Amino acid sequence: MGLLIETPLPHGGRLVERVVTDPELGKKMAKMAKAVYDIKPTLHYETGVPVRNVYREIMSICYGFFSPVEGSMKQAELERVLKERRLLSEWIFPYPMLFDISEEDYKELGVEVGDRVLLRLKGKPFAVIDVEEIYRINPEEVATRTFGTPEDNPEVVREPFDKKHPGWVIYRSMNPVILAGKYTIINEPKLMPPFDRFWYPPRKSREEYAKRGWRTVINHQTRNVPHVGHEMLMKSAGFTGDIEPCHGIQVNAIIGVKRRGDYPDEAIVEGHEMVHLGGYIKPERHLVTICLWDMRYGNPIESMLHGIIRQNMGCTHHMFGRDHAAVGEYYDMYATQILWGKGIPSFGIPKPLNEVPYGLQIRAQNMAEFWYCPHCNEIAYSGCCNHTKEKQKFSGSFVRGMVAEGVFPPKVIFRPEVYKVIVKWWKKFGYPFCNEKYVKEKEERLEVELPDMEV
Amino acid sequence: MAHFIVILLDDKRLNAIKGTEVEEKIVNLFGGTLKAINVEIPEEVEKKIMEAFTAARIDSRGAITDVPVAFNRVLFEEIAKHKSMGREALDAVISRTDEIKEAAAKESEALPVPDIDISDVEELQKSPYQKP
Repeated sequence: MGLLIETPLPHGGRLVERVVTDPELGKKMAKMAKAVYDIKPTLHYETGVPVRNVYREIMSICYGFFSPVEGSMKQAELERVLKERRLLSEWIFPYPMLFDISEEDYKELGVEVGDRVLLRLKGKPFAVIDVEEIYRINPEEVATRTFGTPEDNPEVVREPFDKKHPGWVIYRSMNPVILAGKYTIINEPKLMPPFDRFWYPPRKSREEYAKRGWRTVINHQTRNVPHVGHEMLMKSAGFTGDIEPCHGIQVNAIIGVKRRGDYPDEAIVEGHEMVHLGGYIKPERHLVTICLWDMRYGNPIESMLHGIIRQNMGCTHHMFGRDHAAVGEYYDMYATQILWGKGIPSFGIPKPLNEVPYGLQIRAQNMAEFWYCPHCNEIAYSGCCNHTKEKQKFSGSFVRGMVAEGVFPPKVIFRPEVYKVIVKWWKKFGYPFCNEKYVKEKEERLEVELPDMEV
Repeated sequence: MAHFIVILLDDKRLNAIKGTEVEEKIVNLFGGTLKAINVEIPEEVEKKIMEAFTAARIDSRGAITDVPVAFNRVLFEEIAKHKSMGREALDAVISRTDEIKEAAAKESEALPVPDIDISDVEELQKSPYQKP
């Protein structure tokens, strides 16, 4: 058996690419629409604050991040995903992808199966959905089944999901009418700065790896400005590979609505960029990228999506830490590692994700944690350092508290360049973290601009 | 096990507790690059904090975090005033809950930006390695 690991195939065997790059063809497709719908943010079912925008899902589907998914799911597919985390084509997939509208909008649109709907974003033509099925959901039921319950998923679910969980709230806040069908982007959006220089959809990321001579690439998932603990995680996990360490270390930041207290997306991407501009990882070995998605904070379920996104991008490895993509204590803190290490039968995955039929090829690198050890006088790996009494943890909330109090963090916590990026965006937004004002303004601005298109 | 709140100490705060019993409780964090005091919180006080500040939580170190910045400010003020991290200082903080909540409401809109020079970072960003 050869030892060299090759770039994996996209999940499902081929990359989904549903973006029309010829504006004339886009116009023609738009003209065939029976109705026009202006995309609106999903609003929190109680507070009215934006929690999601389906445009991000349309972007990630059409550019292939979520291959092999091609659109909004039909009812049978939704049911299969909720029950077994599989598409009707058998390929594993964790989350419902749904185009939801209100009863009022449905009545006003007057669409039927077989119709095409033109979807406008920021008042301009953006995409179409070709309606193959129309059905209704109970949003609360979908929300609860998406994340699991302690009774049905005792291996990893520790507490019932509720309105304190931002991912549960996203599904709970959805409209009841689902238009199912494939999406096609007919007017290619332009990513706005600073996101434009981090936009590497799967085809482009694969081309970039080839250009850089990267055969093995390990991905770091992030929704955070990197502190030194994250940097050490990236550097250490980067030693994984085959006969040599991974050629590339990719950061893939999830860009979208985040919970209060997370950092603004702009600071997250530029903070990671500072890791290579500051010289802490050579820029030739480090690539900062983004994926548009309103994070569901679904720990093992989210990790499955992360594996799919990064395999589609061409990564060979994925690092997973404790409490991966988690909030609160709904899941076991090692739920993601359990999923990738032995599977979670109650979620339809009886073996590790790489060993189930139609599973993933990307390899998990499950990591424990990094802390500062005054005895070792270095950032130490918990699997090595035995000074457990002296350890000082990189608690995210501790670091956020320090930032909020305006204390300049020591170099062993934040690289000064990284911290200064936080301050740069703090000046711009008047606040170092996501708050209601930031979320509302961001959901008006979004991450893209659309060219004019007369239809 | 009782939980605790970490109060970071800058030069001004260090001066305010100089010569008191609190000074003896200063701990060095991250190789001495940060100084702090760990204020032990009795269970009944913790309950009141959790009820008053719903974002507060216990982190993986056993520390009570995500309280408003104003809470930490008032907690330090009372410690400095009482020259102690004991119960009387904590009760004084709890008695100022309304005042803290009022300040916290403003905090969710804006926090003062640190006055630091970031021109070196702006210079680096003029020549990004990754271009659009």
